[in-house]
Amino acid sequence: MSAEMPRWPDGARTSVVLTIDFNDIHDIVAREPATEGREKTLSVWRYGARRGVDRVLDVLDKHRLKASWFVPGRVAEEHGGLVRRIHGAGHELGSNGYRSEIFDGLDLAQQQEAFARGHAALADVIGEMPVGFRSASGNWAPGFDQTLRAAGIRWSSSWRGDDLPYFHEPRGAASLVELPLHYELEDEPYFAFNLYPPVPPGQSRIAGYRDVLNNWRQDFAGFQRYGLCYLLRLHPEMIGTTGRIGLLDELLGELRGQPDVWFATGREVADWWSATQPPNASGHPAEIFARLSGLQP
Amino acid sequence: MSSQTETGAVRWPHGARCAVALAFDLDGPTGNALIDGSIWRNPSFFTLGAYDVWRALPRLLDLLADQALPATFFVPAWIVETWPEQCRAIVDRGHEIGYHGYEHEAFWQLTSDDQRRVMARSREIFEQYLGIVPTGFRTPSGDWAPDTAAVLAEAGVVYSSSMRGDDRPYLIPIPGRASPLVEIPGRWELDDYASLAYQRNPNFPAGLDRIAGYAATLDNWRREFDGTHRDGLCLTTLFHPKVSARPGRLLLLERLFDHMRQAGGVWFARCHEVADWWLAESAS
Repeated sequence: MSAEMPRWPDGARTSVVLTIDFNDIHDIVAREPATEGREKTLSVWRYGARRGVDRVLDVLDKHRLKASWFVPGRVAEEHGGLVRRIHGAGHELGSNGYRSEIFDGLDLAQQQEAFARGHAALADVIGEMPVGFRSASGNWAPGFDQTLRAAGIRWSSSWRGDDLPYFHEPRGAASLVELPLHYELEDEPYFAFNLYPPVPPGQSRIAGYRDVLNNWRQDFAGFQRYGLCYLLRLHPEMIGTTGRIGLLDELLGELRGQPDVWFATGREVADWWSATQPPNASGHPAEIFARLSGLQP
Repeated sequence: MSSQTETGAVRWPHGARCAVALAFDLDGPTGNALIDGSIWRNPSFFTLGAYDVWRALPRLLDLLADQALPATFFVPAWIVETWPEQCRAIVDRGHEIGYHGYEHEAFWQLTSDDQRRVMARSREIFEQYLGIVPTGFRTPSGDWAPDTAAVLAEAGVVYSSSMRGDDRPYLIPIPGRASPLVEIPGRWELDDYASLAYQRNPNFPAGLDRIAGYAATLDNWRREFDGTHRDGLCLTTLFHPKVSARPGRLLLLERLFDHMRQAGGVWFARCHEVADWWLAESAS
């Protein structure tokens, strides 16, 4: 029952994956429709394309790290030059629907349509087919995983339930690896803010920056202790401000100083997992979900 | 009450200064979304909850073993049905398991018969899968219907750990019964939801307030313990493995437990031991 130590390449103890959601205004408009047409509010999120992306790119370049960026098709169309620059710097680009659609309110056919349109638009801009996918809300209808596999998607970072990668069920011939999320490793729960319409809905205070950095440090210490996959989920408009980019710089500097960390893109971790790991153990959250959700009406 | 001095301090076994009954609610993905079935269209939320049993619990059990600390786990019976092997490890490693509903039902909204059905079904599952009959109960969400205490007594429950209004155990008389129910109250200050839990769809906190700083959280918890130790009281925790036994936060628990052990004179007990002590002291 004790947590076993996974083996990462080159004897590394921990893997670190940096994921960045570059959604521009589309995610917030999808989640908070009251923001639509309110330019002050939207400019909070437009700040990413205007300022944040470059700061994040600079810090990644400073630490010689490649990240996995999720970009909805519409953002690729509207910010083609910027997206090509991210791609040209050697980062991985993954799909995220056409307008960061909330899949929970869509049926399977609508989800397939949003995915196909976004996937094609992104591929068109970067000149290659992405192999990673993130569902903005984390959910999809039963059967959607088959759509992803058929489109050549090899990894997702949408679900939770583990701190190591796992396989979507059934594993099948075309593995779809999940790199699960952790709220404490996302910047949005700490930093997202708009006064009105209120984001978060309770108009919570912006977290203390020092506290956030210390939390992320301590989270890393825990992930390293157990040899896990430390996956950050960041947003250029949140972490990429002039005052916060230093948090990422400091954190990455400290992680870079560790001798036994494997820094990898989502694609590299997923391919490693597919090539080396057995199927999910019995009782795994993904296995239980597949089994029990199939029993539901 | 003979177990308390005039200053409100309490007599504990072995001359201990205070009692600490570490307790964890192993809710997993149970709760409203499981009860209404919406969780089966919300894999993100299901897996967030399932992490509780799959990853958080085994590491927490290791930590408790390393520190030789006993604990009580309040477990919805659905969790035992779904992950019997993982739950058996709780018993095998010397901890207590108490009732916590079948799917984390809000007892205050249930009829008497529905409360009885939940208790009976839970008892069958605990007996069948784990070979145990719990004597303790922590109410999912805490609140009671007017007849909950009587329903619990009828189901063989000796103590509850559901209320918030004291920092010592107390007795709840049950109309028509000779023996009272022991209550071991918890405090929101020692509930990890109040500082660390976060989830979207469904939102918690309702206004999506921030995750607290870990250092400040540990300082709060230590101060609550320090007061308990100074005044000779009884502390229980409302911790959740899926919230505070995540990798970075296990270090918080470890430091909190270190702090408690180093204070000296602490009676670390399972909740049923606290209840038995309290009943015996009250009768003497």
